[in-house]
Amino acid sequence: MAKHFQRKGRRFLGVNLQGWIRGFFGGNAALSIVILFLICAFLVKEAAMFFPQHHRGLELYRKTGQEYVGHLIKEVDEYTILVSATNQAYYQELDAGYGAQRGVVDSSGGIMDALEDEGDDLIGELEDALDDFEDEPDDPEIAAAYKKAQENWKAFARETIAGLDRKEVDSFGRLEGHDGQWEALKEAMVDWDPVEGDPTPFVAKAKAEMAAGMSEFDAARIELGSAGNTLKDLKNKLVAEASQIKKEAVEDMSAAARKAAILEGSKKLATEEERIAAVAEAEKIVIRESFPFAEKTAAFGESFEAHESAANELKEKLVAAVAKLPSDFKSQAAAELIVGVKERTPDFIEKLDESVEEASQWKWDAPLGFWGSTMKFFFGRDWVTNSSWHDFYGLLPLITGSLLISLIALAVAIPFSIGAAIYVNRLASRYEQTFIKPAIEMIQAIPSVVLGFFGIMVLGEGLRELSQIGALSWVPGFPMQERLNIINAGLLLALMAVPTIFTLCEDALNNVPRSYSEASLALGASKLQTVTKVVVPTAISGILAAVLLGLGRIIGETMVVLLVAGNKIAIPDFGEGLGVIAQPAHTMTGIIAQEMGEVSAGTLHFRALFLVGLVLFTISLMINVAAQRIIKRLGHA
Amino acid sequence: MNDSSSTLDSADAPEVASNEPIISIDNLSFSYDLGSTNTLRDISLEIPAGKVTAFIGPSGCGKSTLLRCLNRMNDLVDTAKVTGGSISILGQDINAPDVEAIELRKHVGMVFQKYNPFPKSIYENVAYGLRVQGIKNKSVLDQAVEESLQKSALWDEVKDRLDSSALGLSGGQQQRLCIARAIAVKPQIVLMDEPCSALDPIATARIEELIAELQEDFTIVIVTHNMQQATRVSNRTAFFYLGELIEYDDTSKIFGNPTRKQTEDYVSGRFG
Ligand SMILES: Nc1ncnc2c1ncn2[C@@H]1O[C@H](COP(=O)(O)OP(=O)(O)OP(=O)(O)O)[C@@H](O)[C@H]1O
Ligand SMILES: [Mg+2]
Repeated sequence: MAKHFQRKGRRFLGVNLQGWIRGFFGGNAALSIVILFLICAFLVKEAAMFFPQHHRGLELYRKTGQEYVGHLIKEVDEYTILVSATNQAYYQELDAGYGAQRGVVDSSGGIMDALEDEGDDLIGELEDALDDFEDEPDDPEIAAAYKKAQENWKAFARETIAGLDRKEVDSFGRLEGHDGQWEALKEAMVDWDPVEGDPTPFVAKAKAEMAAGMSEFDAARIELGSAGNTLKDLKNKLVAEASQIKKEAVEDMSAAARKAAILEGSKKLATEEERIAAVAEAEKIVIRESFPFAEKTAAFGESFEAHESAANELKEKLVAAVAKLPSDFKSQAAAELIVGVKERTPDFIEKLDESVEEASQWKWDAPLGFWGSTMKFFFGRDWVTNSSWHDFYGLLPLITGSLLISLIALAVAIPFSIGAAIYVNRLASRYEQTFIKPAIEMIQAIPSVVLGFFGIMVLGEGLRELSQIGALSWVPGFPMQERLNIINAGLLLALMAVPTIFTLCEDALNNVPRSYSEASLALGASKLQTVTKVVVPTAISGILAAVLLGLGRIIGETMVVLLVAGNKIAIPDFGEGLGVIAQPAHTMTGIIAQEMGEVSAGTLHFRALFLVGLVLFTISLMINVAAQRIIKRLGHA
Repeated sequence: MNDSSSTLDSADAPEVASNEPIISIDNLSFSYDLGSTNTLRDISLEIPAGKVTAFIGPSGCGKSTLLRCLNRMNDLVDTAKVTGGSISILGQDINAPDVEAIELRKHVGMVFQKYNPFPKSIYENVAYGLRVQGIKNKSVLDQAVEESLQKSALWDEVKDRLDSSALGLSGGQQQRLCIARAIAVKPQIVLMDEPCSALDPIATARIEELIAELQEDFTIVIVTHNMQQATRVSNRTAFFYLGELIEYDDTSKIFGNPTRKQTEDYVSGRFG
């Protein structure tokens, strides 16, 4: 009897070919899910371990008194910003008002250096001749020899000066456009006396002119610069003390472990003497029940008054010095800087008062809540690592950098990509469609490191050149100080987002039934009216999803921001309004890429980077989920 | 456009004496591929004002194509081209270089085979044609919306939910809404391409009633596959076959006593 309904095909290990293929693909899918799970688990584990470690670090920071001293450090830092702005203004003004004189003085230094270098022997001869001459001024032979030496020097000086490279001497180009001064300086320097070394009258005159014109400003700036001396001294003293306490405390805490390690190691030593020595050394390590923080930091509690009086002194002197700053300037830049200093002074004083007040609240044993230390991560304004003082892990500067750059990128990319999608989908001719679409999608093929390179060499340079044009100085952020900054990174990321948004937008527009536009056109609407009144409103959720996915694309982008954003870990100064875009910034992705290679596993720094990664992951996930939701809703509509 | 060359751009409806044709098609040939093959060949036909004219014929014979020539919807096809002859509407050659399709379409409205209201409110659907003409005055719009919905026999059904989405209406209601939308801009001519083919018999009957009523205000050209429908609603009927006009006459004549053999075969259901 014939058999029916039998399985056909070869079988291996009891499974046929189809079963194997099924197993292969099923296995791949399962593997990728497992890997995804492992990645998430690892990320979450490392990140979660950050918080207790971070908390302990902050506790130590408080107990050692570093927290207290930290206030002083911040105060001095803020003050230093004012001082350096004032100094910068001073030099700007000096250049604007007395550029030629400054050039003369600077260049005379350069010429003197050159003469002294090359004319070493001649100067020696001249000195000897002078000595002889001074001993016996009446000897005609000696007088003649002295005269001869002087003449030799002059001939040498004339020759050397004539052969000097003007660019090298006047390296800042301050004498450019002052050829007369340059010639006069060269002539004057021939008469310079290398033995005495005093500046020639010509140079002295320039110096005097400079000093006379700038004396008021100079005095004011020096006064301003020294207003904080007391506070600075106090700060330096306390920093040294706190650092010492911290060092001791850390040593103390590791005492038990060190002792155990030495004892353990001693067993492997070769000779008996060595072993005894090691054990003796181990015995020397005192293991204390607890470190006497109260006793050690008592000095800080007593310095509250000194701190307050130093701050008051600074305030008084600062206000007096600021009042003496001039208000008429030849240099626009100087004027702006000084206006800035004057405006910021009251803020500074207010902050100083607050800081002094806050500092005086410090107690070494005040309890530190876990919630508080957690918030210090999410809202901390500093990210400082590998510091000899204390490492801070504050997310705020990184997240602001990331968001700011992404928002700029979106603001630029949205109109371009949506506009292009509408154009290609609804308005362009067949022929235009055949090349616009592939061209835009081709942008995706550019490796981001190449884009970064372009950003550094072309866009950054170009933007800065452009920003120097006087007629454009009304543009926020112009003229730019930095070549690598937020706007540069934002523009490049916009370029990267355009293909994503464009393609998805185009899809969304394609999904709008043709019958809608036909109906609209049949009613006498123009193509443009049809697009704005029917097509775009119908596709709006798809467009929104496209924008969100574009955002997801750029917020996770690393290479471009690492290369182009300027990598300055600081919250950008929003006080400049829109000009904030010309500042450098750092990003969440950038910091991970930059620092992950240098940290060792298990350290607080390592875990902080993982936590940043987790935050980034969460943000991307939320954006994607939101986009999916929108797309789903669109499907139901 | 200047006034002397065209009557289609004037806002007030140009009047046509009732005995004169409102549309006259003269030796029209039309191609979808820049003239390689003609989809319509040598069609001549005069459509009287204030009447309902039906286009019938087997599938693919070019009824829709001719209809879409009348409001220049074929402009949307890049390679479409009128290869010969002309169409004049209200005495104006609509393919003349100075005629704007957008202006033409304000006078020649269209209702499509598959009802296609916008995903907007009922009110906004009807007001759309006026809005794109720049009319913003609320009371003008309100009045036009009400009037159009009244005329398309939809007012009583929707007057309480003008702000709800048009997509929530039944198929027949949606098609009547599309008619309301088309007549809101007060065209002289309304083109209908198989307006009932997606509807059930009851909804179809309502649309047919509506056509009879609209005939008072508009000239209607309707494409239909349904012979009964053609006899019920139209005054004149044109029969097309393979891109050519075979016979054009009063509806009663076409269905009762056609001159051509092909027409007779088609209307009696022997092919099609
Ligand atoms: N957009 C277009 N591009 C190219 N050819 C087209 C296009 N639209 C229609 N055609 C062709 O033109 C011919 C006439 O089509 P049309 O749609 O006018 O026929 P119809 O009489 O309306 O048919 P039906 O009764 O099926 O609607 C057909 O052969 C069709 O394939
Ligand atoms: Mg058709």
